[in-house]
Amino acid sequence: MALLELDGLTKRYGGVTAVNDVSMRVEAGEVRAVIGPNGAGKTSLFHLITGIVPATSGEVRFDGRVLSGLSSYQRCQAGLSRTFQLTSLFPEMTARENCRVAAQARLPRRWQPWGGAAVFAEASGRGDEALERLGLTSMAARPAGLLSHGDQRLLEVAMALAQRPRVLLLDEPTQGLSVEETLTAVETLAGLFAGGGLTVLLVEHDMEVVFRLASKITVMHRGSVIADDVPSVVKDDAAVQAAYLGGYA
Amino acid sequence: MTMQERHPSNKKIPVAFLCVAVVLALAPLGLPLFAMTLLTEALILGLLAMSLDLMVGYTRLISFGHAAAYGLGAYASGYLLLHTPLALPFAVLAASVLAGVVAIGVAWVCTLTKGVSFSMLTLAFAQLLYAVAFKWTSVTGASDGLAGIPRTAGPFGVTVFQTKNGYYYLVLVCLLGAYLFCRSLVGSPFGAVLRGIRENEAKTLSLGYNTRLYKIAVVAVSFALGGLAGALYSPFAGFANTELVFWLFSGQVLIMVIVGGQGTLIGPILGAAFFMLLEHVLSQYTESWALFFGLIFIGFVMFAPQGIWGLLTRRARV
Repeated sequence: MALLELDGLTKRYGGVTAVNDVSMRVEAGEVRAVIGPNGAGKTSLFHLITGIVPATSGEVRFDGRVLSGLSSYQRCQAGLSRTFQLTSLFPEMTARENCRVAAQARLPRRWQPWGGAAVFAEASGRGDEALERLGLTSMAARPAGLLSHGDQRLLEVAMALAQRPRVLLLDEPTQGLSVEETLTAVETLAGLFAGGGLTVLLVEHDMEVVFRLASKITVMHRGSVIADDVPSVVKDDAAVQAAYLGGYA
Repeated sequence: MTMQERHPSNKKIPVAFLCVAVVLALAPLGLPLFAMTLLTEALILGLLAMSLDLMVGYTRLISFGHAAAYGLGAYASGYLLLHTPLALPFAVLAASVLAGVVAIGVAWVCTLTKGVSFSMLTLAFAQLLYAVAFKWTSVTGASDGLAGIPRTAGPFGVTVFQTKNGYYYLVLVCLLGAYLFCRSLVGSPFGAVLRGIRENEAKTLSLGYNTRLYKIAVVAVSFALGGLAGALYSPFAGFANTELVFWLFSGQVLIMVIVGGQGTLIGPILGAAFFMLLEHVLSQYTESWALFFGLIFIGFVMFAPQGIWGLLTRRARV
């Protein structure tokens, strides 16, 4: 059984169908990319999976459990950690504190209203480990808001990682980065994924990034899936080429 | 380790805290009675402002209705002291708990919204309470309010709270206890989540925190402590009236928090004392003292947004 299964997922906003009957299976340990031109419905799909917006129809199953009706924080508690297309972190906290708060969310005593040395120690440990895996250890003491845009993008990944998620969802991790920053970020992520053990679902419109990182690719166009296969097959797919040329024309 | 990074002065604070506690405890020996009256009231208002700081400074929940907490506490303890044989400390405690419990319901409604709408709902709730205080004659005494609220003896024949200085010590103990409680709260894992909500609520939610529950909890604690302040006020003043629930007072408490320095707990206490002192001094010279206080408030917002406590600690660091 696949770890994450989407079944006939559909989202309509009035007359506009943002996501149209999308079905997908993501196996444990897979790095799956969802690609497509701008407006293809990738981010909407993410919002449906993480529960930020409710689906019009269809369902999301995670480890056999139907997630319909669960809010975004409950889905995160179930093991789905995500990053956002527009960087979202705690700008006045240091990078380390950002990761600590993220890790704390997965500890049973996260709400404890007194003391908390043990909770903080455990959360900091997990957070520091995540910072190290993304090469941000030297930035740990800096306020997140003062990091470069590239480091902020990676910090958000580190925060998700500090939660020890069962599925890591990355929404355009190289969004808004310069060419050099993109290269650095992609190599860092490739190193992270090569370590294995992670199940990743990432949204991206940069084809080069995708072919470097993904083990399987789902192509979306105007809300629907038009291809779903390993990178070498997707690359030569006629429908994909048409969609991309059409999308950018 | 991380906590020490965030509070570099963590170890110094208990010493400073004890010094302040001792000085305040010795105050009745050196100050005349009228000054003790002012000081007692300043500590009560300080407690109220500090309780609001939990919402405003630590969670960025701007409440325009904190007078509701104060009024609830004041009326409840006044009513209990007038109509039941409950000993004074228990009446005060019961009133505080009542304010906290009511706040759960209020917060449940108010947290359906965010930002300005949240603030407007807190204001609406406070005004609702104001209307109730005006109309529910049998309980609140309507426009006359509750008068002649006694400082009853007890429990166990203790009469110390009946004297002015004895009552001052009760207020002092409540304030110091509440301060230690709040400090522990904001430094705890719970407090870390509040800080997350303050900086980026959407992110905090997506990290798996049920942010609404945290907000309801902090409003309840804030109201319970604000209610405690009100509950201490009515036996101190001997009366409770609708002014205590009026929106103007909510605004003044918010000003105390901002002028004192939000998100510091101590700052709002200083802000309350500063507000009272200035009102006392300025009103001797002019009836429009509020105008001058308004100018001072504008000055703080523009030139010292960290407030009095921010100015003091910046001095200390240089």
